[in-house]
Amino acid sequence: MVLQNILRKSQVIVFIAGIALLVIAPWIISSQYIRHLIVVAMLYAVLASNWDLTLGYAGVFNFAHIAFFGLGAYSAGILSKTFGISPWICILAGGLVAVIASAAICLPVLRVRGLYVCLVTFAFGQLCLQIILSQSKYTGGSQGLVLIPPITIGSYSFLNNDKIAYYYLVLLLFIISIVYLRRLVGSYFGLSVVALRDFESYAISRGVPLARQRLLTFIASAVMTGITGAVYAFYLGVVSPDLFGFGYTVTLLSMILLGGIGTIYGSLIGAVVLTFVSEFMVSLGPWRFLIISTIIVLVMMFFPEGILSAVKRLAGSMSKSKTSVQEIKGV
Amino acid sequence: MDMANLEAILLTALILGSLYAMISIGLSMVWGTLRIFNFAHGSMMTLGAYVTWTLTSSAGLNAGISFAIVLALIFMVLFGMFFERLLIAPFIKRPGATLVTIITTLAGSIFIENSAHIIWTPRMKQLPSFIEGGVNMLGTVIAAQELVVMIAAPLILVALAWFLKYSRLGLAIRGVEQNRDSAQLAGVNVSMVYTITFGLSAGLAALAGIMLGTTRFITPTMGSTPLLKAFIVVILGGLGSMGGTMVSAYIVSLVESISMSFLGLYWTPAVLFGIMILVLVFMPNGLFGKE
Repeated sequence: MVLQNILRKSQVIVFIAGIALLVIAPWIISSQYIRHLIVVAMLYAVLASNWDLTLGYAGVFNFAHIAFFGLGAYSAGILSKTFGISPWICILAGGLVAVIASAAICLPVLRVRGLYVCLVTFAFGQLCLQIILSQSKYTGGSQGLVLIPPITIGSYSFLNNDKIAYYYLVLLLFIISIVYLRRLVGSYFGLSVVALRDFESYAISRGVPLARQRLLTFIASAVMTGITGAVYAFYLGVVSPDLFGFGYTVTLLSMILLGGIGTIYGSLIGAVVLTFVSEFMVSLGPWRFLIISTIIVLVMMFFPEGILSAVKRLAGSMSKSKTSVQEIKGV
Repeated sequence: MDMANLEAILLTALILGSLYAMISIGLSMVWGTLRIFNFAHGSMMTLGAYVTWTLTSSAGLNAGISFAIVLALIFMVLFGMFFERLLIAPFIKRPGATLVTIITTLAGSIFIENSAHIIWTPRMKQLPSFIEGGVNMLGTVIAAQELVVMIAAPLILVALAWFLKYSRLGLAIRGVEQNRDSAQLAGVNVSMVYTITFGLSAGLAALAGIMLGTTRFITPTMGSTPLLKAFIVVILGGLGSMGGTMVSAYIVSLVESISMSFLGLYWTPAVLFGIMILVLVFMPNGLFGKE
């Protein structure tokens, strides 16, 4: 137990140090480009870790996650641009729309199993995309939604001072999301969701309501995702239908699997690593994708549980066999 | 609506249905036997079309189209077997293989698409057709090439069904599909059956790609839209059910061509995906699937 406490404490220290570093980063890093990359990495991290909730913890092949993000982005953009509603309300509305969508797709998901879940949720994303493409009057069709007004407080626009306000807004979202997810997976609700994943029939017989927990898991993972979508729309000022495409899904999925599925922290690491690695290879054109897809397969082959577990195991083997006994007791 | 319009709708549905059946059958076969979903199926179509194009082009072998197709098919079957050994066999016995193989086949698909981009450049290409000119059918003129596709696809699929039903290899494939463990006990080399099935499926994908390449254009991303249609077809038909897949291909194409002429280009995909989700709510295993 002592060792575990130390581990937990060191985890907290790493977490606080990381946040502190991110808070002061804009004052150290003068490059606007690097700062933009940090913002993108944090946005990806929120998306990936929230997806990990349904994909990793609940073990549901939910491929509609990116659609929740896109719907949040589009609804915030349309409400703000076409109807002139306050950006803060739009951000909440983005979360709300994502929640409604997640509840809607949960109905067919409850009916089907295994791979069908993957296919039906993916189809849901495509359905959203097609509707957005067909409603070009509001959504801008295949051109995307452009000229979304920036967030303002009074007369201060978030675009001022090299978008520094956006940086802190996204950082705030990032911190809230991590705390929210960690608390959620540690709660009784989180445990019951894992129980359903690992031994469904037993969990049900012990009184865990499958349909309700699944619906709540979907909603819980969609809230932050929709809000992130809305913030993303305001940050870039543009939303394109590409958001619903294969590309984003593959990127996010690789982040989760590279970092380690079902760990939350793993997907954060995966998001940061992959954002920077792929951004630094932009000049390589199509070669970049050859390299990234090769990396993904190699990691899957040699570190099936992701980078985080590989590092942990390496650290574990150094601190002798005592750790494993503690781990078993801990579980 | 007048009769000519109705006939045009039916004819379009038949041509599209044959194409969809051709695209979907390999996917369905791989799911039935290997229990994995091959997200690289669309890019295998693309690769098959490009390889055939290279063989027929003056810079390549300058071969006749029929000879080129045979060579391309052999290449693609071998390529599919290689793909399975590299990206599926190492993962298939792991817990959570379904998810891992989704990502490895997606990675493979990205690899193939971008390689095609590098090797062949994104400029559109077209394969020479077997027959030139048009045919007057039911009062509507269609390209002779489309008629070839419409007739060839069902013939190929009947041949496939024959092969699966009566040949030794076909029996082994169906044996593994029905009960992996018993098939292994009866002396079937299961991992070899997996590899061969995947190779066959890649060959079928290539044939579909060639059919697309002779009637439409070849681009590095040409496989992604048909793959989405194949999604709908195999899910509606019930994954792994060959007969179901074939019937469902023609149902989807009929719905599509009716929707096209009444609701237009933009609403049709939404209608198809909506129908698919609705069907799954009431029939979780598709129209013809059994669990």
